[in-house]
Amino acid sequence: MADQRDAVFNTNRNKDFLRGEYDYSHVERWCRNRAERLNYLGLPAWEMLDIIAWEKFLNRFTTIEREENQQHLMFLQANVQDVEHRLHSLYGEFDQILLTGRDRNGRRPEWPYDIVNLDYFGGFVYADLSRPKAIKKLISNQVDFQRSFLLIITQHLRDGDVIGEKAAFLDDLRRSLKSAVLESATRDAIDRVMDWYSDSEIPDSMRQALYMNVFLRDAGEAEHFDVECRPGILYSGTGKASMIHFVTDFTFRAGIAHKTSSRQSLLQLVDLGMLEVRNGTFAKPALIAPKLSSSDGGA
Amino acid sequence: MQSPPQQSEELVYAPAVLILSQDLYPRKLEIVREYIQNASDAIDSFASIAGIIKDNSEPVIKVSVQGRSLLIFDNGIGMDGDEVSKLRRIAYSEKRAGHEAGYKGIGRLAGIAVADKLKISSTSYGDPELHHFEFRAKEMREEVSANKRRGVQEPASQVINRHTDLWSAPIDRKDHYTIVEVRGISESCPELLDGKVLKEYIGDIAPVDFSPEFKWGVRLSQRLRQDVPDYSPKTVYLSMLNGDRIRVFKPYIDAMVVAEPEYIEVLDPANPNNTVALCWFATKGQQVLDRIRPAGKIFSVDGDDSRDKKRFAGLVYKLFGFSVGDRSLPVRTLWGQSFPRALWFTGEIHIIDKDVLPTTDRSDFIETDSRKRLYQAAERIPAKLNKLAQEISNNRKAYEDGERFKQKLQTWKERLRTGQIEKAELKSIRGELHEHVSRLRQRADKCTDLDVQQFDKEVQKYATNLQKDLDEAKSPTSDNSIADVAGDLNMTAKAKKVFQIIMDTLEDHFADDPESYYELAARISKSLRKKY
Repeated sequence: MADQRDAVFNTNRNKDFLRGEYDYSHVERWCRNRAERLNYLGLPAWEMLDIIAWEKFLNRFTTIEREENQQHLMFLQANVQDVEHRLHSLYGEFDQILLTGRDRNGRRPEWPYDIVNLDYFGGFVYADLSRPKAIKKLISNQVDFQRSFLLIITQHLRDGDVIGEKAAFLDDLRRSLKSAVLESATRDAIDRVMDWYSDSEIPDSMRQALYMNVFLRDAGEAEHFDVECRPGILYSGTGKASMIHFVTDFTFRAGIAHKTSSRQSLLQLVDLGMLEVRNGTFAKPALIAPKLSSSDGGA
Repeated sequence: MQSPPQQSEELVYAPAVLILSQDLYPRKLEIVREYIQNASDAIDSFASIAGIIKDNSEPVIKVSVQGRSLLIFDNGIGMDGDEVSKLRRIAYSEKRAGHEAGYKGIGRLAGIAVADKLKISSTSYGDPELHHFEFRAKEMREEVSANKRRGVQEPASQVINRHTDLWSAPIDRKDHYTIVEVRGISESCPELLDGKVLKEYIGDIAPVDFSPEFKWGVRLSQRLRQDVPDYSPKTVYLSMLNGDRIRVFKPYIDAMVVAEPEYIEVLDPANPNNTVALCWFATKGQQVLDRIRPAGKIFSVDGDDSRDKKRFAGLVYKLFGFSVGDRSLPVRTLWGQSFPRALWFTGEIHIIDKDVLPTTDRSDFIETDSRKRLYQAAERIPAKLNKLAQEISNNRKAYEDGERFKQKLQTWKERLRTGQIEKAELKSIRGELHEHVSRLRQRADKCTDLDVQQFDKEVQKYATNLQKDLDEAKSPTSDNSIADVAGDLNMTAKAKKVFQIIMDTLEDHFADDPESYYELAARISKSLRKKY
């Protein structure tokens, strides 16, 4: 079958780098650790570029598509790529399917999954909070099967702070961080770092990176997952849209009733900051967030 | 005299499209056949250029189910924009009758009878665009029904144009394929979304190869490739819901216990050099004398009910590799009244004469001179199979009688050895033995299976030897291997008579179970000897 890639694929160098190298290495690591092919749940476009790139690490793949014509093209692509038998394509909105458990045809996801790749069209925080709720539901479904998983999330940086969610979040985070430390020097550093994040002059991408990682950590720990976050990665996607990308490990900790405390501390998480991909590789970020661990507290 | 219609006059109205699509396929699985037929033709067409353009991809047809969609994909020649745009035309086909499996131009839209939408995407080699066609069938059905209620008459072409769309997108020029999505299949047609049903159906009707799990498959395939010019089995994959992908084969497998197949060449009576069909057939087999031999009974397989068990009984017509009608069609057209023996066989009649055309629903052939010629020529099939069935029946009886007699002889021999045969019984055994030998000889005379003949001869020889043993046992000089209780116990005449009546009554009572009678007689004999 001839390769369609050059003619119709909708991608760019930055996305190719993330998919083909950065994410690839994490998917490969998960496959190696699990010693078997991974079950995938995701929101790929009809080209299924991620599935094709990671195909040798994958077993079954469940895709969710809300556009009928896009789903039809996905069926075509699956046949052309000779993976149609491994495709379980659900029709509808991801959030709705997660929350109701079924797609528009009454089909269910094939829980549990080992890798979840949510390449969202749009941002993460909307007024109805359906996406955060759906992520929580996803984590809750995974815990029903006590299954660790790798979560990859990509989103547009265009929602801003629609409902004041992030401002409230930063206040909460400041309190959480302070309650976790006694040293006044560190408490001062927390104030300095949180003030920096709260500054309206600071690009929202910085706040978004911190917000998402803390959100994922909280949601995971509440369901007995040890959550290991990585820096959000800023890049310019197709159509020069600003995108942010997260790769997070959720490792289930069996035999505990209390809320899990991840090996990665909250302070370490704050210090993850953000990375940037330009021209198909990692580049020095235009702006570096202050760190709690640095002696000057990021001042 | 009527004047010819004016050019602008509309002659076909919207309800005609619904009537055509809905009434053509009373059995909804036929829709799958229509699309596989188109895919098969596309693969055959591409085969003619594959070598020239050095495309060595494996030609495949892939069937899968996603949600309420049935998908049929092929990497055949594909369609260019012009061809895709002609999908709007009902009953328009540029295929030539007798050259390709499909030629009526109706099957491409078969899906509109059962689904909300029909989506077809296709590109042909060298075409820089992928062409999409969408037929919003449910929308059209609802509108046409509403219009009918309101008494609105609309030309078919207007309605079709309103409920269809065509568009194109760039694609690699080397690509060549077609995918059909029958989307939003009605809940009244669950069979179209059931992997198990699809597997059985496609195996039954499509031009697929013999299963590797069928030991006669390679030989049959070779013969069909050699003698049926258009025999070209396709690779059809079916995705099952559990993620398995299976290759679909014809239904014959070794587990069915099929005896060695044979062939009948159906020659044109008017021109014996012209073969109009090739039939292969086989019977149900059974293990006889270290070999699978024709069992001589209705061809049955495992199944839930009687009909299911007999689903492969009879022959099926094949045209371009596709089934025409079911297994009752050859029975009706060739056997007529005396059909039971037809069901002893399974197999296929591959029609070589392509002037024989199927009806649109492929349940029969169109009544033509070619069909008449085919049926006339094919009369030799029932003639040969009926004769063969008689032979198989004779051989089976020869073997079964021999086997039964052998077991009886072994029982007698054992009873003789252990002194369980009464003198009074000797006469009847000898009579029975003689009768069996005579009947077996007659069976063997009618038997054409040399192995079975030989087996029967060995049984007869065994019988002759036992006869000698019985004769020796009867002589006064022999030992007491033959028991004569009445004599040994010096019974009075009256007691003897009573004893004989009792034993005769018991023998009558156990007529169907002589073993029990002999065991009982031996026990009575032993008890009497012990007591007196």
